[in-house]
Amino acid sequence: MPAFPQSTPVAVVGVGHTRYGKLPQHDPYELGLWALKEALADAGLAFDAVDGLIVNRIPDYQRFCEIAGLDPSYVSITPGQGRFSGICIETAAALIRDGLAHTVALVYGNNGRSGGDRYGGAGDTYGSGGGGQWFPYGMTSPGAFHALMARRHMELYGTTADQLGTVARTIRAHAALNPAAVMREPFTLADYHASRFICEPLHLLDYCLINDGGVALILTSGERARDLAQKPVYLRGYGMATALAASSFPPDDFWRAPMGKAAATSFRQAGIAHADVSALMIYDNFTPTVLFSLEGYGYCAPGESGPFAAAGHLALGGRCPTNTSGGHLSESYMQGWALNVEAVRQVRGACGARQVAGCAFAHYMAAAPVVTSIIYGRDPS
Amino acid sequence: MRPLPDIAGADAPFWQALRRRELRVQRCGSCGTHRFPATRYCPRCRSDRSDWQAVAPTGIVETWCVFHRAYFDDLPVPYTVIQVRLDCGVRLFSNPVAVETDALRIGLAVEAAFEDITPDVTLLKFKPRKDVA
Repeated sequence: MPAFPQSTPVAVVGVGHTRYGKLPQHDPYELGLWALKEALADAGLAFDAVDGLIVNRIPDYQRFCEIAGLDPSYVSITPGQGRFSGICIETAAALIRDGLAHTVALVYGNNGRSGGDRYGGAGDTYGSGGGGQWFPYGMTSPGAFHALMARRHMELYGTTADQLGTVARTIRAHAALNPAAVMREPFTLADYHASRFICEPLHLLDYCLINDGGVALILTSGERARDLAQKPVYLRGYGMATALAASSFPPDDFWRAPMGKAAATSFRQAGIAHADVSALMIYDNFTPTVLFSLEGYGYCAPGESGPFAAAGHLALGGRCPTNTSGGHLSESYMQGWALNVEAVRQVRGACGARQVAGCAFAHYMAAAPVVTSIIYGRDPS
Repeated sequence: MRPLPDIAGADAPFWQALRRRELRVQRCGSCGTHRFPATRYCPRCRSDRSDWQAVAPTGIVETWCVFHRAYFDDLPVPYTVIQVRLDCGVRLFSNPVAVETDALRIGLAVEAAFEDITPDVTLLKFKPRKDVA
């Protein structure tokens, strides 16, 4: 991958989101538009400034543009899988750098809770091909896929339930400081162990929260960004890699190889080291994914993420404050989008009680068959 | 009703073989790589030539999980799902038989256990091999 052209920095200039929770009066289009209005207001931009649009999880781009009154020069639509938040952000940056659009809106709308989304069972489509051929054995659901990976990690490295529980507890403690989070009540390790198993070794508290909500981000060139309402937050580095071949089954390496590639690319572009990163936003669909990401993106050696989490390093005040918003586990499952909003807000210094002091760099990362690594920075270079 | 496989689809030779207590998977006619479920093209060399080859009904356990939440009627919980890698390289999800979940280990040597669940359908489950320590 070529070096990030520093002459044309790209910045996030607006972030916005709906309330999270149960919003049965809104369909995904309306949730997306609600979030877009917030994001444009945040940026101090009008709707007619948007000349690039990528919608995610919203079922139809034409309908969205119709209800939003938009005629962007560039438009695209992406499937409702969380890995696409990072992909969309990286695509938006490329569009801006290449001049296909000046100001790109990324709009996500998810009515999974009111819409009655179910993960697992006859309608389950997680993994390639939908996995129907394994239903006779009872194999289904993203949760089970991650339970299989968690068990393997436990067997290989001695990772414990207490360590997974600490990940969940730490992120919940952060949510307690975020008024927008859906689940804000702290819990103990005993509470964690008492919560029911969904797919052992994973308990209910290892799973993210299906909710309704919308999120939007506005990106533009660093040059334009300087004149807008917010202090720009720059995309200093990004990397992407995939492990899609044979992806019906969990990868032997917990996606370490693609994460390593994406991390190397993004850190090289940003010109920084891990120690320069103040806040981590890790795609926490399930607690074990946080551990896999810490190892894959280079914050821990392979096998050491469990003890690392148990030592308190993921907490505010620790070495690697992680998911300061409460993440998918406790704020709301907004499929990476809200974590990117939190990364931007940390770099802006706008996180209030949960602000990491002197946050010059925040790192968003996801572990999945498509991995994305995005480093946000306060300065353009 | 418990979930049943599509025994008449592209994987029909696999399901027919299970009735005969035999394990067959697709084998690339060009590079020889085994694969399952069926695909027209080989993911390794993209050839469209293939046949269904009998393979050794043996492999190892790679990992497992225990379902406590029920997703399917007539599959009572808790039940255990194992991930098996056959000696021919093909991976499968299945269920263990004749072994307690606590005794499962990565690398546990297993062999096919054929389980007739309807007059037409036999599932491929796995039990520990007695001949391997």
